[in-house]
Amino acid sequence: MSNILEVKNLTMHYETLDGDVDAVKDITFNVKAGESFGIVGESGCGKTSVAMCLLQLQAENGKISNGSILFDGQELVGMSENDLRKVRWDGISIVFQGAMNAWNPVVKVGEQIREAMREHNPKSTKSQNTEKINELFNMVGLDSSASERFPHELSGGMKQRAIIALALSCDPKLIIADEPTTALDVVIQDQILTEIKNVQELLGLSLIYISHDIAVIAEMTDKIAVMYAGSIVEIGPTEEVFKSPKHSYTRSLLDSTPSIMGEKKKLRSLEGEPPSLINKIDGCSFSPRCPSPSNECKNQSIEMGLIKVGIDHYADKCCSGCISE
Amino acid sequence: MYKYIFKRIYQLVIVFFLFLVTSYILFDSIPGNAFQNMLLNPLLPPGAYEQVLALYGLDKPLSERIVLYITNFFKGDFGYSYKYYPKTPIELIAERLPRTLMLFAMVNIVSFYTGFLVGKILAWRRGSKSETWITITSVFSYTVFYPWFALMMLWFFGYKMDWLPIGKFLYPEKWYDAPFDSDVIFTLMIKFTVIVSIIQFLIYMFTRNIESLNSKRNLRFFGFILNIVGSFIFWNTGDALTKKIYAMDIAYHMILPVITVTIVAFAGTALLTRTTMMEVLKDDYILTARAKGLSQRRIRDRHAARNALLPVVTSFIFTIVTIIDGSVLTETIFSWPGMGQLILDSVLNEDIPVAMATFSFIGVFALVAHFIADISYAYLDPRIRIQSQG
Ligand SMILES: Nc1ncnc2c1ncn2[C@@H]1O[C@H](COP(=O)(O)OP(=O)(O)OP(=O)(O)O)[C@@H](O)[C@H]1O
Ligand SMILES: [Mg+2]
Repeated sequence: MSNILEVKNLTMHYETLDGDVDAVKDITFNVKAGESFGIVGESGCGKTSVAMCLLQLQAENGKISNGSILFDGQELVGMSENDLRKVRWDGISIVFQGAMNAWNPVVKVGEQIREAMREHNPKSTKSQNTEKINELFNMVGLDSSASERFPHELSGGMKQRAIIALALSCDPKLIIADEPTTALDVVIQDQILTEIKNVQELLGLSLIYISHDIAVIAEMTDKIAVMYAGSIVEIGPTEEVFKSPKHSYTRSLLDSTPSIMGEKKKLRSLEGEPPSLINKIDGCSFSPRCPSPSNECKNQSIEMGLIKVGIDHYADKCCSGCISE
Repeated sequence: MYKYIFKRIYQLVIVFFLFLVTSYILFDSIPGNAFQNMLLNPLLPPGAYEQVLALYGLDKPLSERIVLYITNFFKGDFGYSYKYYPKTPIELIAERLPRTLMLFAMVNIVSFYTGFLVGKILAWRRGSKSETWITITSVFSYTVFYPWFALMMLWFFGYKMDWLPIGKFLYPEKWYDAPFDSDVIFTLMIKFTVIVSIIQFLIYMFTRNIESLNSKRNLRFFGFILNIVGSFIFWNTGDALTKKIYAMDIAYHMILPVITVTIVAFAGTALLTRTTMMEVLKDDYILTARAKGLSQRRIRDRHAARNALLPVVTSFIFTIVTIIDGSVLTETIFSWPGMGQLILDSVLNEDIPVAMATFSFIGVFALVAHFIADISYAYLDPRIRIQSQG
């Protein structure tokens, strides 16, 4: 299978009055056509920043200093706004974190979807568009009458489903779902996850699923990247990573999540705070919180970098040695 | 919704009643009365002054007069002007109102549109050089001492450059043998403006649901051209043709006051639009709109400006309310004989029937405008529509 997305050495920082915030550090990953890829990590580790870079929608003070993003063979970094408009939604669409506020309050939901369709398929008629919206709404479990309503007339779950319909409306090749189920109750959360999964498999889309919940990621994805303080510290096939995590951060994440299938075990939480990204971190960024750091880890001159630890499975070279089996 | 409207109307009636009573008491408490200067006349026979007061009912106690006035008011009898005796206040208002409306309706529409347009572009181009300069200019014209500014405009364009007339609303010499009154022309001009605006509005409404963006824009442009051609034909045929030169004369006199007031009024709208737009631009749905790959213009107009419109419309309606009392200053400076001058005149002369009538007119106008504001707000913001259904 060919890669639909190739991200290479992507580095981005936010310029702030207190200094630069290094939100994305030298990130490399590929997503194949039809594959579902997960990004997991604590709050503030830069997941949303990566997603925004992929659409070139980073905040005004967000500056990409290095790296390339190849989508379907096109380089997105430095592409003109006009060309980007064609890629957005038609090629890559996104379900934003906090999708509740993603609807314009004064325009009907259906009209907001039609608007995107008009932009990317100017030839289709109103009835064709409406028909398609109804189809999508059925697919995500919404009544088609919901398209004639204003956003505030829908419940949170309905809004979220409608957002997924919106993301699908222009037949994108890649969908980014940035914590699409926060702020929803567990039952709805589960339904929506199933919905996303079904649609993705049905339509053969590529999916980037972003979450801080590693259990959800396990359910949803084929491949997973674990992010810590702006860098990817472990990446590999989901099953593989879950079976034998190589990085002690991944291990800590797994240990702090209850497993439904496996035997009961004591949950261990990760001590300490994630580092502030505004201060330059020397050496291994995880060593201050690492449960069993070796002396080498504390050495500030050590460079971070991924090394191969299995088939298609990479982990940061420092911490991959910290796990005592 | 009906229940809501009914409740609002009920409140309005009570407020209006209180307004009438308070106004009457206030006018009555001005020292002296309209006929006091008769006393200065040494030839006045004794008892004549008292007789005049009795004639107009001014000898009765205040409470009795208020009751009488309000009963007559609701019967539609507003009395007679003390100063222009045989004329009733209604006749005076009917003569003056079109002049004021013509002038200020023009100003408000122009300043609202330009203000909104400039404001949204300012917010959109945040940080550019042109934005800085236009914002500074707007702040200046928003805070400038208005009478001084108006006099400067008069001095520059009317006197120094001699491009535009200083004061009055027509050249009397042109009207010596005019076959009609200036009011006829004013009314015609107002009707014309209203009809043209309505047609433009209808064109907008009818093209709202067209799916293709291109054909929508073309149709709207076509409609606009049609409207202009129609107006041209209207003024060059039949009855309107003979009135054209007089209408032109009035329009010529309107230029300077319209520009002056527009410059001042537009800045407020522009600055308000700029601020609200900047708030709106931070909202998440703007990001969604960008992610959808919409054009900059569409994001600006359809998503950002549409949401920034709400507070701007409210403030616009409140400005409309102040048209008539606000006209006092402008009309005095530009010697424009409209409602503003009538108000000032009647208050200075203690011409209570006229003053009361003009004030009640303002009152009704203000209350109706607020009422319309409530309803149009419900139209613009679907979230209010729901709450007001109860
Ligand atoms: N516009 C901005 N300016 C400055 N700093 C920013 C900006 N946006 C994000 N950051 C910082 O960048 C870092 C990464 O933020 P990001 O939103 O990508 O995290 P996240 O992994 O998505 O977190 P969460 O799980 O809470 O959504 C954070 O430390 C955040 O404070
Ligand atoms: Mg995030």
